[in-house]
Amino acid sequence: MKTITFDKIIPNVFSSQQDIDSEIWNCKAEFEKGKLYLVEAESGKGKSTFCSYILGYRHDYEGTVRFDYAITSEFKVKDWTEIRKKHIAFLFQELRLFPELTAWENVQIKNDITKFKTEKEIKEWFEKLGISDKLESKAGRMSFGQQQRVAMIRALVQPFDFILADEPISHLDDKNSEAMAEIMMNEARRQGAGVIVTSIGKHMELNYDKTYRL
Amino acid sequence: MKLVWKLLRQHISIPQFIGFFFANLFGMFIVLLGFQFYNDVLPVFTSQDSFMKADYLIISKKIGAGSTLSSSSNTFSNSEIEDLKKQSFTKKTAAFTSTEYKVDANMGINGQTILNSELFFESVPDGFLDVSLQDWKYTEGSHEVPIILPRTYINMYNFGFAQSHSLPKISEGLMGMIDFKIFIHGNGHKDEYKGKVIGFSSRLNTILVPQKFMDWSNKLYAPEQHSEPSRLIAEVGNPADENISQYLDKKGYEVDTDKLQAEKTTYFLRMIVTLVMCIGLIISALSFYILMLSIYLLVQKNSSKLENLLLIGYSPRKVALPYQILTIVLNITVFAITWTILYFVRNYYMGIIETLFPQIEDTTMIKSITLGIILLVFVSAINQIAIHRKVMNIWKRKE
Repeated sequence: MKTITFDKIIPNVFSSQQDIDSEIWNCKAEFEKGKLYLVEAESGKGKSTFCSYILGYRHDYEGTVRFDYAITSEFKVKDWTEIRKKHIAFLFQELRLFPELTAWENVQIKNDITKFKTEKEIKEWFEKLGISDKLESKAGRMSFGQQQRVAMIRALVQPFDFILADEPISHLDDKNSEAMAEIMMNEARRQGAGVIVTSIGKHMELNYDKTYRL
Repeated sequence: MKLVWKLLRQHISIPQFIGFFFANLFGMFIVLLGFQFYNDVLPVFTSQDSFMKADYLIISKKIGAGSTLSSSSNTFSNSEIEDLKKQSFTKKTAAFTSTEYKVDANMGINGQTILNSELFFESVPDGFLDVSLQDWKYTEGSHEVPIILPRTYINMYNFGFAQSHSLPKISEGLMGMIDFKIFIHGNGHKDEYKGKVIGFSSRLNTILVPQKFMDWSNKLYAPEQHSEPSRLIAEVGNPADENISQYLDKKGYEVDTDKLQAEKTTYFLRMIVTLVMCIGLIISALSFYILMLSIYLLVQKNSSKLENLLLIGYSPRKVALPYQILTIVLNITVFAITWTILYFVRNYYMGIIETLFPQIEDTTMIKSITLGIILLVFVSAINQIAIHRKVMNIWKRKE
């Protein structure tokens, strides 16, 4: 998968609005593999909606989303499962960790289906993000910042053409957000993947190839 | 898979599953027991007489107070036999021949005498009997005579005699154990014969010997005597033909009605068993309902977990699998236990049935096991589909 194209997409919730002032909605926006994008938005502009259309768990829009030449609205359940497992990594804004599993198990439950990273590699990431002492803690007992880092590791234990990070550093200090940006970019570069980061203000300090205003 | 199970077993309600388990166990047991019992008991009523085809009628004249007092004959004259032969429904007809001489018989088992009486024999032409000619052969002058005994004799022995004298019960396979001695005297002769029991008949209440022996012995021991037959045997095309009953009524004849009785009994047996099985099925259906409700509730309670699993790349099939395995394991356990209990219960009642009807054919549990497997597969398949649909609803974000 080389490109993600948003072609004249209007979410149904915005369809009654005449004057959509956006660089993505009702325009043509393209994301290429290997490049780094920032999608900036004020709240209520449909940032999570944008993410849900890429990951394919919402389809309430007009227009076409294309992965290369394939139109995603025609994808079957099997295709989406493949996309989520092998092509698009996603760091959810609401994290979607399992509070009753430990930090380690939360990552492992994903690695079980991708078989992508070794135990050693995963533990190194925990180390780098300063949460190696939390491996056996239940995710539900950790702070939101710590959970954000676990969720990032979980997003990375899979092959991907694009990684989509929905407000990845909202609860992190500068030092930890730098560490997080570093491991994300390292892995993306290693895989030659495209990176799409969304933000409503505070964002990772990176050399973005293009910034879209939602 | 281990982690997924760890996650998805949250909120499993053990009491609900125990409720399902026992309700289903109870229901399935009733269904399978009813079915098995019906199959086991049915042969008691329907066992075909292996010596006579079902469409033979045995016809005799009605004996009433009038005929006894007026001493009008209850035997058939030649013209009456000819008339019956001429009817359109009869294929062939023959008369029973009975002994004209005196017969004393002694029946014993294992050297123990159980019957000692003056008797008489009857015979019908060989064509009416369905036995191998090898067994039913009599050579003139031989001292071994094949005989067929009425089944009531053996029942009488098994119920009353064998139990109180702790003797073995006689079944079809153990006929060889019966010693049947026959003493005949007449016309200046006095001879002893050995009866070889080749089977039991429930349709003929008489001791049957080969026609050849009958003709030969009547000539030898009572050459002067000849009596009219009191019973006829007729082969008919369709036993349900109403011309038959009209003809019999008109003539004042009657036929053995044991077959009709058996049909009535079978009918009631079938009705009762169907009723019992229906109750079992209703209990099972309700228990199935409990299972489906608890699975739905479980999916509902865990819907956010299921959704997250789907979003991180788990396929709906993989997510549904733990619950599907859970239901299959539950179903298989229920059936395994049902069969085990059924096996012991069946052993118990078969013991009783075999005491009452030693000649009963051996039946197996294959039919009820097959029925069980069909139900198991059916119920499990519905479970699988329902769970899959529930997970797909989460995929489509309808839950």
